Amino acid sequence: MFECQEISAEHKDLIHDVSYDYYGDRIATCSSDQYVKVWDRNEEGKWILSSCWKGHSASVWKVTWAHPEFGQVLATCSFDRTATVWEEIVGDTPGPGKSGQRHWMRRTNLVDSRTSVTDVKFGPKAQGLQLATCSAEGIIRIYEAPDVMNLSQWTLQHEVQCKLSLSCLTWNCSLSRAHPPMIAVGSDEPGSGGKVFIYEYSENSRKWIKLDTVSCITEPVHDIAFAPNLGRTFHILGVATNNVRIINLTPTDDEQSQQSGITKLDIQTVAQFDEHGSTVWRVCWNVNGSVLCSSGDDGCVRMFRIHSKTLWKQEGVLKGDGNQVPTAMEAAQSGPQHIPQGSPVGSIASQTARYIKLGSISQPSREPWY
Amino acid sequence: MSTFSVVQDGPVNALALNKDNTQVVIGGRNVFKVYQIEDDRFREICNLRTLKHLNLNFSCNDVAWSLSDDHYVATAATNGHVCVWNLTKMGRAMQEQDYQDHKRTVNKVNFHATDPFKLISGSQDGTMRYFDVRVKNAVSVFYSNTESVRDVQFSPHNSYTFSAVSENGNVQIWDVRKPDKLQIQFTAHSGPVFACDWHPEYTWLATASRDKTIKVWDLTSKPTLEYTIHTIASIGFVKWRPQYKYQIASCALVIDCSINIWDVRRPYIPFASFNEHRDIASGVAWRGDPNIFLSSGRDNTLFHHSFNDAQKPANKANPQGISLNAKGEVVCCRKMNIASITPSSSNQNSLSKAVGLMRKISTSQAVDTFHQAASHTYNFNPNNVEQQESSVFLKLANNYLLHGRSVSELCERNATVAMELGKNDVSVSWNIIKIMYAEEFAPSSMSLNANKHEDGACSAENTDDQKSKGGETPAAQFSGGDEETENEDQVDNAFPNYLNVRNGCLPKGDFFFGENELDVELEGAPVFLDYYQYGFRLNPVTPEQIDWTLPTEAFPIRHKILDRSPPPEQFPDHHQSLSYREDSHTIQVDDQLPGMLANIKPCRKPCWDPSSIVIETLHHYASLGDVQTVASILIVLGESRKYLTGLSETLQEHWLLGYIERLSRYKLWNITNQVIKLSWLPNVSQLNQQSTTMHTNCGKCTKPLQRVGWLCDRCHTPEYGLCSICHQVVRGLYVWCQGCSHGGHIVHMKQWLAQKRVCPTGCGHMCEYN
Repeated sequence: MFECQEISAEHKDLIHDVSYDYYGDRIATCSSDQYVKVWDRNEEGKWILSSCWKGHSASVWKVTWAHPEFGQVLATCSFDRTATVWEEIVGDTPGPGKSGQRHWMRRTNLVDSRTSVTDVKFGPKAQGLQLATCSAEGIIRIYEAPDVMNLSQWTLQHEVQCKLSLSCLTWNCSLSRAHPPMIAVGSDEPGSGGKVFIYEYSENSRKWIKLDTVSCITEPVHDIAFAPNLGRTFHILGVATNNVRIINLTPTDDEQSQQSGITKLDIQTVAQFDEHGSTVWRVCWNVNGSVLCSSGDDGCVRMFRIHSKTLWKQEGVLKGDGNQVPTAMEAAQSGPQHIPQGSPVGSIASQTARYIKLGSISQPSREPWY
Repeated sequence: MSTFSVVQDGPVNALALNKDNTQVVIGGRNVFKVYQIEDDRFREICNLRTLKHLNLNFSCNDVAWSLSDDHYVATAATNGHVCVWNLTKMGRAMQEQDYQDHKRTVNKVNFHATDPFKLISGSQDGTMRYFDVRVKNAVSVFYSNTESVRDVQFSPHNSYTFSAVSENGNVQIWDVRKPDKLQIQFTAHSGPVFACDWHPEYTWLATASRDKTIKVWDLTSKPTLEYTIHTIASIGFVKWRPQYKYQIASCALVIDCSINIWDVRRPYIPFASFNEHRDIASGVAWRGDPNIFLSSGRDNTLFHHSFNDAQKPANKANPQGISLNAKGEVVCCRKMNIASITPSSSNQNSLSKAVGLMRKISTSQAVDTFHQAASHTYNFNPNNVEQQESSVFLKLANNYLLHGRSVSELCERNATVAMELGKNDVSVSWNIIKIMYAEEFAPSSMSLNANKHEDGACSAENTDDQKSKGGETPAAQFSGGDEETENEDQVDNAFPNYLNVRNGCLPKGDFFFGENELDVELEGAPVFLDYYQYGFRLNPVTPEQIDWTLPTEAFPIRHKILDRSPPPEQFPDHHQSLSYREDSHTIQVDDQLPGMLANIKPCRKPCWDPSSIVIETLHHYASLGDVQTVASILIVLGESRKYLTGLSETLQEHWLLGYIERLSRYKLWNITNQVIKLSWLPNVSQLNQQSTTMHTNCGKCTKPLQRVGWLCDRCHTPEYGLCSICHQVVRGLYVWCQGCSHGGHIVHMKQWLAQKRVCPTGCGHMCEYN
C-alpha cells in the first residue's frame, strides 16, 4: 500500500535519472534538458525544488549522491562527454530560523572520455572518495580525490578498456574486508555474447582485472545494480535487460585463487522475471538488499523480494496513474484480509485515481500482524 | 540506398550536388573532383587537379554548383580568388573566370537560385561580392563593416535576398540590387557565426555559432528567435532536412565527429546521429530525398548516407528512473505516454508549456512524436507505516537490549520485542539462542565442555569414554557426535586411553598431563558420575571453591576459565530422554571440576553442539539482508561468541559494519555508538576513536597548544606543564585533579596520593585519584 505524490519536476525533456540521497531526505533529478534539480521535503512532506541549474551542454544521463560524510556532493554524467562533480554551498544565514542560500558549485569536470559518458557512480565509502565512469566507447575510468576536503582535484587512477559500448555501471559496496573492490558493467550494444562484465581491483597488481563475463545475458543491458552487501558472503546483482535477472556471485575459496589473489566467482542466475513483458530500463535495491525494484516499458514498477538465497518472488506492482487492474495474483491476495487496512486507502484512491499500489504480502506467517 | 564512401588524398572542405543530384563536386586544399553517384559507389568523372600548372586556384574553401546550369561550378579559393569552372570544356579552358577581387580568403560561394550566371561570395576581408559569370569583374560589392563574412546564402523565397553571417555574431540580410543599403541586421550569437541556412519552405533562417548553439530565426517581419538548440561543440555547418519542417542537420567544428539531425522543437538531444566520420564533418548535402545525403569530412572521405543507418540517441537514452530510500519510499520517473496527451487531457496546458508545443501541429507532424518528450515523476510513500520494513527495523533497533543483563534476559526481552513487531521467526531465533547459550546454569559447569576450540577433538577420546560410561549408549547416539559413536566400543576402556596419555601418545594434543591431575580426575569422576545418575544438576562446587593452581610442570592457561556454560545444560526439566543427554554431558563436565583438567582439555566436544546451527541461522538472516538480527544476536551472545568456531572475524566484522551502516541510514547515532562500543573487534571499536581530537589551551595565555602539550608557542613557557611534585616538565601523560587542577607525572601523583589525600602543591584541596 503506497500513497502516491506526483512531483511536478518541470523538466523540459525526459528525466533520465532520479536518485535519493543516503538518508532518503533529498532527491536529485537530471534530464535531457541539461538541467539538474535537487528537491527537499517540506514540513508537510511535499517535495519542494531546492536548487536547479544547467549542468551540461547535452543530455544529463545519470545523477548520483556521494556519501554524506563527504558533504552534499553530486556527480552527473552527460552526452556531452563529461562527468561533473558538484558540491552544495550553503551561504550565510540571513536571519534566525532561515537557511542560507543554497548553491551548487561545479567542482570538477572530467573530460577524459571521447564519447558520451553513460554512467557515473561513487565508490564505497571505505575506499575514500572514488568515482567510476563508463562511456559509450567502452572504457571504465576510476577517479579518485586524494584529498576528500578538496573536491576540485581528481586524478584518473585507472582506465579499463572493454570491448563493447557500455551503458551502466555499479560498484559492489560490500563492507567486508574479504571482498576487494568490485565493479560490474553492462553493455546495451546489440549482438550476441555476454553483456555483463565483472571487474575486481587486485591489490597485488594494482590494476582492475576482469574476473568474469556473465555469459547468460546476451540481450542489451540497460541497468545493473549490486545489492548492498551488509553481511552476505555472496553478492547479488540485479540486471535490467529484456527482463529482470537476479544473479548470485559467490566468491569461491580455492587454492588457486588464494595464490593469485584474484577472486574466482561462481555465477548463478537465481531469478528471472518476465512480468514486464517489455524492455526493463532500471533496477534498484532497497537499503538492505532484500527488495529489488524494476521499472519497464509496461509503465510499471515491480518489486521482488528475497525469500531465500535462491528464491525470489514478485511482491508488488506500482503504477503511477492509478488505473491499474490488479493482476490475478494480486486480486487473489487482495482478498478479505486486505480489506480492513486497505479500505481507507482505497477510498482515497478512488477519489484521486492515483493511489493504487498493491503491496502484496507473500509471507503468510506475517499476515496476522497487520 | 546504402551507406558508402570514397577516400581522398586530403581533407575535404566542401561538397556540392548538381541540380539533378546525380553528381557531386568536392573541394579541399588538395582535392578537387567530380563524382558520379551510383547505387552503391562513387565513380570519378573528373579530377580537376590533374591539370598542369596547379596553383592555389585549385585549393577550395568552398564549392558551389549552379542550380540551373549543370556546366558551372564555382569555387572559393584559399588565395582569395573566386573561380568559375565550365565542366563542359577541357584543360585550361575549364577555368572560365578567375575573379581576384577579394583581398583575403574567400569563405563561401553561392549561386543564385534561378539565374544560372549569378553568384555571390563572402570573404575574410569583410565584403561580399556579386558576380556574373559573363563579366570579368564583380558586378557589385557589399561591405558588411565586419571583420569577416563566414557564410552567404541566397534566400529560396526571394531571389534577390541573401543572408550573410559574420564573425562578430551578426546576421545581415541584403538585397542584391541594393549594395548600398543593408536591409536587416541583428546580433544572433555571442560568438562568431560560422554558418546559416534558409528553411526551404518557411522564412526561417538557421544560424550556427561557436557559442555552441544553433538558432532558428523567423524573418517574416522582425527577426524573432524561434528555437535554440544547445550543442556540445561549436557548429560549423547547418542544413535543413528537406520535407521535414523541424529538422536540421549540423556538423560540429571541433570535438564531435558525428553529423546530427535535430528536431528544433526538442533542442536537447539529436533526433538522429551519423557517426561514420573519423574526423569532423565539413559539409552536408541532401540528395533531394530527405532520407539520403552526402557528407564530406576532414578525415579525407566523402560519404553517402542513408537514413536507415542513423543512430537514434534518444532511443538509447534511458526514459525511466527509479530510486528507493531507507524509509521504503520509491521515487520513479518515466516517459509520458504520448497517446495520453490529448487536448482533453487536464494537464494539457502545463504539459504543453513544458514541452513547448503550444504551436499548431501540422498534419505531417501528427504522427511524429519524437519531440513530445516529457516525464512524470512520482513519489510513493508507504502508507501502512506499521507494517513497513523500515519502521520495524527502527523499532527493533530502538527496543533491542544489547547488554547490561544476562544473556537469557536479553534474549527473552529481544524475543518479545521481535514478537510484538511481527517478526515471529526472529523471535523464535532469540528464544533458541536463549535456551542454548543462557548462563543460568553456567556456574555449576563452567563451560568446560563447551570449549570447542580449534584444536578440538584432539583429546576427545578421554572424555568420550567417560561420557559413555556415565550416559548410556543411546545417549551418545542421541547426541550424535561422530567421535562419540566411534568410541562407543571403548566404553569400558578408559584406562588404556589414559595410559596412552601417560605415554605421550595423545592423538594430536600438545598437552602434558601432570600425574596428579590424572589422579584427580580419575578419583573425581566416579563421584560425580554417581551424583549424576540421579539426574541432579550439579551445583555443589562453584569455581571459586576449586583450587585452580597448576602444578609446576603445567603450561599456561589457554583462556579464561570463568566462562559461560556449555550449550546443552539448559534443559531444566529432566525428561527421560533429555536427562540422558544431560547426564552424559554434565558428567563430562563435572569430572573435571576437581582439577585443572579443564584447561588441559579445552577441546572436548559437547554432546550436541549448537554452534554450527547458530552460525547457519546467522548466515540465513544475513543472506536475507536482515543484518540487524545477526549483529544483535552476536552482540548479545557476548563471550559465548567464542563457541561459534568457524565464524571468521572478518565475517563478524562485516555483519557489525553492515548493521552500523544501516543504523546510520536512519541517523540512529546513539545506537550506532552503542554497537561500536560493544564491539569486540578492533576494526569496529576503533570507528568512534577516529577523527575525535581534544585540544588543549595554554594555561597562561589560553592560546591553543599546537605542537606539544607542555610548551606554548606564544608565551614560550612550560610553566603550566610542570609536575607539582618533581617540578620537571611533563612530556608524557599529565594527570591532574579536576578539583584544583594541579597535577603532574602520573607515577608521582599516584605515589603521592597513595599516601596523602591533599594536593601536593599545598593548595589544601583534597584530591582524589582513581
